Amino acid sequence: MSNSKKRIFYTENIEMRFGGLYALRDISIDIFEDEILGIIGPNGSGKTTLFNVITGFYKPTAGNFYFMENSLNGKEPYEITERGISRTYQISRLCLNLTVLDNILIGTYFRQRTGYLSSLFDRKKLLKEVEEFKRRAIHLLEVFNPGIIDRLYEPVGALPQIDRRRVEICRAMIAIPKIILLDEPSAGMNPDETDELMKDIWKLKSEMENVTIVIIEHDMSVISAVSERVIVLNFGRKITEGTYEEVCNNKEVRESYLGKEFVYE
Amino acid sequence: MNKKSKFLDITKIVVIEILLFFLLLIFFKIESVLILFVAVALVVLVFIAFRIYKKQVQSILNLFALNRPVVLIILLILLILYPVLSPIIIPRGGTYWILILIQTGIYIITALGLNFQLGSAGMMNLATAAFYGVGAYTAGILSLKLGWPALITIPVAGIVAALAGLILFIPIYKTKGHYLALVTLAFGLMLVLAADNIEFLGGPQGLKNIPSINLFGYSFLSSLGGLHFYTNYYYFVLLLVIITVVIFHRLFNSWVGLTASYIRDDEPAAKGCGINSNFQKLLIFMFGNFFMGVAGAIYAHMIGFISPPNFQFTQSLLIVSIVIIGGMDNILGLIMGAFILVVLPEKLRVITEYRIMLYGILLIATLIFRPRGLLPFGPRKYESLLGFRKGGRSDVE
Repeated sequence: MSNSKKRIFYTENIEMRFGGLYALRDISIDIFEDEILGIIGPNGSGKTTLFNVITGFYKPTAGNFYFMENSLNGKEPYEITERGISRTYQISRLCLNLTVLDNILIGTYFRQRTGYLSSLFDRKKLLKEVEEFKRRAIHLLEVFNPGIIDRLYEPVGALPQIDRRRVEICRAMIAIPKIILLDEPSAGMNPDETDELMKDIWKLKSEMENVTIVIIEHDMSVISAVSERVIVLNFGRKITEGTYEEVCNNKEVRESYLGKEFVYE
Repeated sequence: MNKKSKFLDITKIVVIEILLFFLLLIFFKIESVLILFVAVALVVLVFIAFRIYKKQVQSILNLFALNRPVVLIILLILLILYPVLSPIIIPRGGTYWILILIQTGIYIITALGLNFQLGSAGMMNLATAAFYGVGAYTAGILSLKLGWPALITIPVAGIVAALAGLILFIPIYKTKGHYLALVTLAFGLMLVLAADNIEFLGGPQGLKNIPSINLFGYSFLSSLGGLHFYTNYYYFVLLLVIITVVIFHRLFNSWVGLTASYIRDDEPAAKGCGINSNFQKLLIFMFGNFFMGVAGAIYAHMIGFISPPNFQFTQSLLIVSIVIIGGMDNILGLIMGAFILVVLPEKLRVITEYRIMLYGILLIATLIFRPRGLLPFGPRKYESLLGFRKGGRSDVE
């Protein structure tokens, strides 16, 4: 399968329990360099919880996870982002009152080299850095939708849903991460927008070398079109993994989506 | 042609600014309540006129926005001339109004410190007056007991206020939202009680005879060219206000301001972007506190007498109101808010008991009609105070 590629992230028997509820149980997955990995599963199967564990928002109750052979156990979200894992959110988390530019530039946070002192006394250095990151932001927007560039100084809340998604992806990309986690990017979009979104994901892949994209989706057309490998979760467990076709033909997967009585042998 | 229109623009700005300046002076001069009401009615009429002549007003505002350096320089000249003109135009009470303006300046510095915490980073600090008091007491003790000069006590007072903020922050390092407001509220009450009861700090009598500022042998008590000695403080505070405004304007237009805004609007998302939000909040809190301490120290040196009632919760409320009414995270709005809340009550001395109520009414009216303040924050353009930097606009348009 992807054996030729380098494994950059893996988990060992991750368990996430909220009181008596097992949101994740015994999850062991590998993520390889330069792949597009889809994660699917019915509602409540633990997909977003898995993302929250990977990015440090939840601390797993058991198990280990590693990135580039370093343990991420107990690390705070900001530390994990700094190591090269960026994400987008299911319900977009942009600051709607802030400008488009600000919302992208915040992604450069841990690459910024000017703090309080330079902001106050060395404006040249700060402005040079702002210019540099701004150029990068404009370049990213050019790839996705050049129309947004004219609206850099408008509040992001003025943009339509799909452009907000794009801004969010740009925010994740400008950090130049190794892995980008996209949490249901097509949520709340119509079929046309979903089509555009798929193109965006390809653009994202071609724009950044060696980046790994992990994508949670409900829309199977997106998954079948973009992902090279699919992991299926149900009730917090990993059922199976493989290519989209392999997974679709798996009996357990069909059962979990359709219910037992609808699955024909 | 171009040069000529530029000249015309500048003339317009000069005329408008001077006109406004004298209107303000006349407002200060009015003593009779009746005339005051007439003046207020006039202001209301002007506002209605603004509504009707929207286009013209907008063109004037654009004129001001495009010529920011000119506007600011003229404003500075007028502010420098004020102590000279004030006694001439207002023979009775001219110095009194200088004192009020000094107080406004001190409040602006304090409120800018709070604005960095509340407006920029969304941290409600209800102990503002207490931290201001920490600065005042530090300056008082250092100059009374150790005889340190004001040039040292003022920055040290700021640092002590910042450290007090650090102590406050340790127990609440990991709490969120309203807990911070509650803890600061309790902390503020505690500090006032402590000052009231510690003998070393003078107890309820407070500290008396705090020496005035003496800058390189020039005593601020000497009269400056025949003017009242307050004039010295006026210029000193004016200078500090300008420095503070420049500092916070620069911070707003930098990564620091951006980080703070992100923490305010969506802290989890900020963490997801790699921001160590707890540590950043601590820095912001201490930085804001520094300016409260500095303002307190200036007050102590100027008035020469401080006691616990000066630093009570109602004072904190006043400063919070300045930030909320003026506009969160907007320096110009904050300055307007300070003028409204410090100068207006002075004019309404007649209804002195109801002044606190006035704050309440203004606050509620603001929250209903302009929930984001008179002037809410605008887009961050990473610009300098004097306007756009070269070429900064071309790539946008």
